[in-house]
Amino acid sequence: MKKFSIISLMLLFVAALTQNFMRADEQPHVYINPGHGGHSSDDRNVVVAPYVQGDTMGFWESNSNMYKCFALRELLWKKGYKVTVSRETNTEDDDLGLSTIVRLCNNSGADVFYSIHSNATGGGEGSRVNFPMGFFRGYTDQPENPWCKILVEKLAPFLIGNQCTVWSSNNYQVWGDWSFQPSWGTQGYGVLRGNKTNAMLDEGSFHDYYPETYRLLNKDYCWVEGFNFSRGADSFFGRSGNLSTGVVMGNLRDDRRPREGILVMYGADKRQPVNGATVALVNASGETIQTYTTDNDFNGIFVFKYVDPGTYTVKITHPEFEEKTAELQVNADDVTYLNIDLKRVRNTPPAVISYAPVWNDGDAPVKCNEPIVLQFNWDMDIDATAEAFTITPAVEGKITWEDTNYRMVFTPNDAYEVNTEYTVTLKKSALHGGGVGMDNDFVFKFITDNRNHIYPLAVFPAEGDQVNYKAGALMEFRSAALLDGYNLSTHFHVYDKNGNELEFSKRSIKNNKAGDPYGYCRLPLLKALTPGEEYRFVVDKTLCDTIGLQLVEGKEYKFTAVDPSEAKDGTVVADFEAVADYQLIERDCANPSTAKLTAVTDKLFGNKAIQMAYTFGNYDPSGVVEFRMNKPSAEKFNVGDQLGAHVWGDMGYNTLCAVFSDENGAEVVEPLGAVNFHGWKYISKELKSLEADKSYQFVGYNLRKGPDADTPFGLTGTVKFDNVIKLTPSAIGDLKQVGHVQVGPNPASDYLVASADALITKVELLNTNGQIVASNASNFINVADVASGVYVMKVYVSGQVSNHKVVVKH
Amino acid sequence: MKKSLLTMLCGIALVASAQQVTVTSQSRLLNGVEGPAYYPQLNSTATQLLFASGDSYGLKMYDFADNVVTRISDEQGAGIDACFNAQGDVYYVTQKLNANNLVYRTGMRYSVATAKSEVVLEAQHGYVRPELGSADNGFRGAKKSYAPAKGLGTSVYVQGSTLYITTNGVTKSYSPVASYAGYLWPSLSPDGKKVAFFAAGKGIVVTDLAGNVLSMPGKYEMPCWYDNHYLVAQNAKDDGHQFTSSQIMLVKADGSFATNLTSATSMAMQPTSAAGKIVYTTIDGLLYQMTININE
Repeated sequence: MKKFSIISLMLLFVAALTQNFMRADEQPHVYINPGHGGHSSDDRNVVVAPYVQGDTMGFWESNSNMYKCFALRELLWKKGYKVTVSRETNTEDDDLGLSTIVRLCNNSGADVFYSIHSNATGGGEGSRVNFPMGFFRGYTDQPENPWCKILVEKLAPFLIGNQCTVWSSNNYQVWGDWSFQPSWGTQGYGVLRGNKTNAMLDEGSFHDYYPETYRLLNKDYCWVEGFNFSRGADSFFGRSGNLSTGVVMGNLRDDRRPREGILVMYGADKRQPVNGATVALVNASGETIQTYTTDNDFNGIFVFKYVDPGTYTVKITHPEFEEKTAELQVNADDVTYLNIDLKRVRNTPPAVISYAPVWNDGDAPVKCNEPIVLQFNWDMDIDATAEAFTITPAVEGKITWEDTNYRMVFTPNDAYEVNTEYTVTLKKSALHGGGVGMDNDFVFKFITDNRNHIYPLAVFPAEGDQVNYKAGALMEFRSAALLDGYNLSTHFHVYDKNGNELEFSKRSIKNNKAGDPYGYCRLPLLKALTPGEEYRFVVDKTLCDTIGLQLVEGKEYKFTAVDPSEAKDGTVVADFEAVADYQLIERDCANPSTAKLTAVTDKLFGNKAIQMAYTFGNYDPSGVVEFRMNKPSAEKFNVGDQLGAHVWGDMGYNTLCAVFSDENGAEVVEPLGAVNFHGWKYISKELKSLEADKSYQFVGYNLRKGPDADTPFGLTGTVKFDNVIKLTPSAIGDLKQVGHVQVGPNPASDYLVASADALITKVELLNTNGQIVASNASNFINVADVASGVYVMKVYVSGQVSNHKVVVKH
Repeated sequence: MKKSLLTMLCGIALVASAQQVTVTSQSRLLNGVEGPAYYPQLNSTATQLLFASGDSYGLKMYDFADNVVTRISDEQGAGIDACFNAQGDVYYVTQKLNANNLVYRTGMRYSVATAKSEVVLEAQHGYVRPELGSADNGFRGAKKSYAPAKGLGTSVYVQGSTLYITTNGVTKSYSPVASYAGYLWPSLSPDGKKVAFFAAGKGIVVTDLAGNVLSMPGKYEMPCWYDNHYLVAQNAKDDGHQFTSSQIMLVKADGSFATNLTSATSMAMQPTSAAGKIVYTTIDGLLYQMTININE
């Protein structure tokens, strides 16, 4: 018996040995390359709290790739595979070159090569996504080695089957690397080049999708991805079912509280994961088989490995949550996913523990856009609480939730009424997350301030203004209150006639700063406008001041682009070329020594223009700064003559006047208007202040302090002057129109057509020198062959002549 | 293409200061004749060149004298790691999958004289790769190996992190440098007195025939003897996914000197050298031949 037993044992041993040899002979060999390594520049570090940039305990792709690799190796060993890995640790020496990795794999004699990675969108946080991808060498529909594509396809269902992540797309993307990155040509992924095995590279999920980043910090979560890789290998080699145990993975989340601080989240990821929960796996006999405590890395992941098949109960306990149990079935060589939502313990009724604005009799009024904030002792049922909220008089607004629904914020859409008492009521029907209401209604009052909006104080261009067409033309908006400088320029827009928005020169935008006497934003256009075309300067209602009060209403100002240097038919009276030709005089000014004349190259005609810098005192409303020509032109003006002035304005709102002198030296001042514009402008004025039967010479300009002594701007500034002309009568006549005559289109490229209530007998087109360039004994002129420019079209109708300024543009 | 040519011209102008290394000639090989070519291998007299036609498939041989390309094999992977033996015959490996998707590899020898291939090591599961010897080559296999009856002479091969050197019929193993991932690209110097190999994570290692480390000239891949004193190698950088730069280096075997023979942007890789000639390919499979002058 004894001898027989020994022989039997020896035979069994030999048989087992033989079987083992045969198994070893057919043992699949998998080469695993956990991507990256060394926590260096070609590694991928995603910073998530509490880890700081560069902390090797935080997320590094090389770490999670290695965790997955080790899990896969462990499982493949258990399933009877031979395994080789390209790195065992995570140092700079482990960050092997791509050619080295490929050669190591080829030398190993492996059957399959897995390069394990995770992915990144690389774009802004708003573009984050999460789905798995697998790559093989070649084009997607034309792999270099067809078995590589099969390898990817065999792995796909197991990775996309992970139910403890939240995929943004439920599709495992299978790609040939040449199709995926066509800009690389046939370079492809380095670890797939020259790789003689059945090789693939997997991007298991997106590690810059922050909820996934936190999950990838959990080694056991990575372990399950390794497990799923092993099932992919089994599927490829036809060896499924080799593991007698199964795996349980779950994700614990709060059933209500939102997750905050992450811009893009999908599905259940929008709720908070539960840290520090204890999960017990209890078998059918009531014995606890394994326990797992969720980590403090905000992923809520729990994993039970190597669980015998059968029916189990999981029991979750956490001091802040109600206990919960769930039944589950474990199958061999399979993963059971179990995501559980936990309900917080809320053992007292909800109550408002603080609020704003707090106002009592005698307190300063509340500003008219103050949000209403209610802070609760519990996270609230947001629907029931919003329903319980009222404000009287009624105000339209938006309710938002913060601090994981512990704080409700009501923000009025616009502003409260001024000097008004408001009553805020939260009825006791407001519920916390556990469904319990408040003991009593919560009520408070406040009174609002006497200002609820900002108003335009000055705008250029205002409705109907003309603007120098050249690049850099300034747009400016002013208000009494200082404007909020954050993204200020985004509230201003200029559109052309087709609705295209024009760009501002962003680097040259100016706006108010603390201490300025008024609010403003000054915006230069980046490119030139088209003379003769109409544009719109638009100011959004969302423009707000430094306390958040918005513009009373959105504003739109139409203006026309012009060329102020356009030639006029007249005689130049003063050319403003040399400072020596002029002298400066100041009257009633508090700062008489500050005014200065300078010749500048920013001009319209000749080589120079004259710039006059000035400063008025705060309390000299009758101040005048003026300058005179040393040698006035011999050209004489009479009452009714037309003066043409070219002036560069500073939007100082001071009054500009032309000064004339008769032969006895008696002076007459002719107001030309307020300097309420920016840049060069052509001003024409019929002289009505001159005495009849007297002749006058133009002797200079003066600038008078703005008409309103309280005007906060124009105390200091600069204006510039270029040619002053005396217009010829014919040029003046061009401006006279007959009311019922219309001319169009303007600008024109083919025909200019006149229409009137009576018969039109002739039309003529005159250039700026008064020369006729085209005429027709009808109501139209063909301008196809007329050069682009500004013209006057004379329309002869019923014995009258109607003159119209037109633009020909090709 | 223009950029590549410019890069090459820059390479010709390259002169290293200390050792006065000058690239004396550089030209495209098989331009317009062959498609992408990878893994070039020169024979010992630099009269013939093996290369993989395409990245994965086939093995071809180019004869410099008659300018003829001969197709040796169309098998997948045959051109990767193929090599000449001392007599000028070609050793290469083919592979096929069995019903369970296991890879079976076969050791092949191609006779240049008869233009015929023969199986010298039957298909087996696991690795099969050429073993380089001063007299002849063989194959090392996971289960069975092959050596010609007359032996390999002095030979080297690596397995894992072990270097095996056979001299006078006696094989000894050495692990002179710690390397978890393993050793690669072993080769004998032309005079048969030194061994160069690559230790993953450490770089090139030069030893004597007793396994004593003579130098570690740098972290360059694919070392190949230029003569008894210099090696050519690949200096490639990557971002963990794809190559970001690659160039050919000349490295002195005693570790005292290294210089680049092409610029980092040339994307030149996989150098081979014999009889004073250097051949390499580029990332997009363009073959180049180069000669250099070393003025010490």
